[in-house]
Amino acid sequence: MTQAEIIAKLQTIFDTVFLEPVVLTPAISAKDVPEWDSLTHISLMVAVEKAFGVRFRVGEVETTKNVGEFADLILKRQQER
Amino acid sequence: MDILNLKPLLLKGSPEFWPRLTAMTGQARDFEELFLLSSWRKKALARNLTPPGSIAAPIKLAILGGYSLYPLHELLEHLCSVQGTPIEVWLGDYDNYVSEIMDEAGELYSFAPKVVLLLPAEGRCKYSGQLTDTRAAQQAEATQTAKSVLELARKVNAQTGAEVILGNFMLPSRHDLGAYRSRALGSDWTFRKWVNLELGLNAPPCVRICDLEFLAARIGGAQAADPRGWFETKQPGSPALLVELAREAAHLIASLKRAPKKVLVLDLDNTLWGGVVADDGLEGIELGDTSPRGEAFKAFQKYIVSLKQRGVLLAVCSKNDFAKAAEPFEKHPEMILRMADLVSFKANWEPKSENIRRMAAELNLGLDSFVFVDDNPAEIDIVRQFAPEVTTLLLGPDPSEYATQLQDCRLFEPSGITAEDEDRTSQYRAEAERKALQGSVTDMDSYLNSLAMEATISEFTIVDAPRLSQLINKSNQFNLTTRRRSEAEVLAVMNDPVFVGYSMRLKDRFGDHGLISIVIGQKVDGAMKIDTWLMSCRVLKRQVEEEVLNELARLARARGCQRLEGVYLPTAKNEMVRDFYGRMGFELTSESETKREFELPLGTFQPLATKIKITQRAYDPS
Repeated sequence: MTQAEIIAKLQTIFDTVFLEPVVLTPAISAKDVPEWDSLTHISLMVAVEKAFGVRFRVGEVETTKNVGEFADLILKRQQER
Repeated sequence: MDILNLKPLLLKGSPEFWPRLTAMTGQARDFEELFLLSSWRKKALARNLTPPGSIAAPIKLAILGGYSLYPLHELLEHLCSVQGTPIEVWLGDYDNYVSEIMDEAGELYSFAPKVVLLLPAEGRCKYSGQLTDTRAAQQAEATQTAKSVLELARKVNAQTGAEVILGNFMLPSRHDLGAYRSRALGSDWTFRKWVNLELGLNAPPCVRICDLEFLAARIGGAQAADPRGWFETKQPGSPALLVELAREAAHLIASLKRAPKKVLVLDLDNTLWGGVVADDGLEGIELGDTSPRGEAFKAFQKYIVSLKQRGVLLAVCSKNDFAKAAEPFEKHPEMILRMADLVSFKANWEPKSENIRRMAAELNLGLDSFVFVDDNPAEIDIVRQFAPEVTTLLLGPDPSEYATQLQDCRLFEPSGITAEDEDRTSQYRAEAERKALQGSVTDMDSYLNSLAMEATISEFTIVDAPRLSQLINKSNQFNLTTRRRSEAEVLAVMNDPVFVGYSMRLKDRFGDHGLISIVIGQKVDGAMKIDTWLMSCRVLKRQVEEEVLNELARLARARGCQRLEGVYLPTAKNEMVRDFYGRMGFELTSESETKREFELPLGTFQPLATKIKITQRAYDPS
């Protein structure tokens, strides 16, 4: 998968969770989306791990600054499998 | 129902949103699914889409513990709201519960909770010394650990009058320590178990245990643990565990207000036995140890009887001819439930909703204390529609899961402590007695005596034919002749006056062993020739053989025989009975490679003394 494909798949997960449509771009981050609070974040991460079949390592999601970096992290963990 | 169908209802502001939300919340097992439903519920409220009916006043709930209680509170709030017991939550800080409880002027007490959910820190449930320390030292510390947790619960209850829902400790799920794990009380595994036992057995009446040890075991310890969640955000366990924990806490909160159900109303055909008794007849229904299905129905009945012992009233409601429906209760040897176990027996052609209403009036109980169980969705639907106060339970397609369905329905859980305590005490006593008995096997005679064995002996019957044939065809070791017979051949023996055929059932104070021995004799002139003698090895050394012989002698004499003639036909598997007849006092009359023949004169035979009480004999006119 490419970063763009990852983001497209992330888009479907976000569409489920959020009421107000959000268009994901590599530059977008939680602070740009009002519905993306810390509680929703926990649920999103569980959903993403299941959808992509990956498991993030302790603390590493926190270090990603935006959706682009987050998608790269998913890609990296996917390639390790 | 797909969860995604709910979102358009929310966006449209459809009133259909609420019943769907409730149904999906009941089914949701995944954390993210439940969480999503929770966030949609809040968003619906924010959009002024209000749930139907009146909303109960919220219960003030304080959640404290050695964990981050966030997002647990979110799931709990959602589940409580949907089940009609909304909560107003006060969240303690991570691992601050001891000082929150101790500080009488603090926020916890100004919040004035009615219920407190307390989840003490696992990290503080750990033995401080060495694995090799004395057991006394380790035990003292475990006891002290439990005591200090219970003191916190008592303190918060004394200050607020709140009920306390107290979490116990999950057990480790890693292999560490291996076989040594359960050998030392100082290991995390054993120490936590011990603390959990002390918590449960010593908790005061204001405390309900939220059994994390059980919840984690149910989903699997390794699935429940989540070290990453701990390091990142101090979670008590994995998302899956959070769901179980929230569901359990919500259930306990609801049960503070709700009484357990009192009456269990059961359908008959394909619920208590397989098949339709009016069509298949008494001998055609599936029940008992002959087939896996029959065994499953029997186990279901056993569980139902255990509910009765716990104080649940049992009743039957069946669309049936009364006499036919009653017959198995009176005559089927494998029925566990008997008429005496039931407070009401309705078998007629009236709608079941009407019958249950009548029962409620007769027993002077509210319809809302009834639970109705049926395998037929149409019957369930009628009761739902016309007696909606009754809780219904539709049995699934597989009888092996009937008992588990009832065990998981959570409708008959004891709420109080006092009465149940006494029951439990007597159970413990029985268990202790049984253990003590096993310990003193050296004195065989008093052991057998204390078993309080009772046996019934019956001539062959049509109803027993499948069980007889099954035992005849599978029994190898305690089987003198290993002659196999089909069901039809068993029936042929039964109908031929030259033969006697009987079986014995045995039970003792610890349970029913069922049909365990079979004999077929054939009268030839003045002799009763023993065609078949077999016994289940489960009841070896119980003096069953002696009683079976006494019966055979009695029947042979009654038919004018002067002697019994037995033969041993050796097989690869029946060596254990090679000298059986000799041991029973028979004389060896001839011996060859392929058979050993024995004889017992009846003139001088005295019945052998045993510890078994015979309550029924074969071919007995009474």
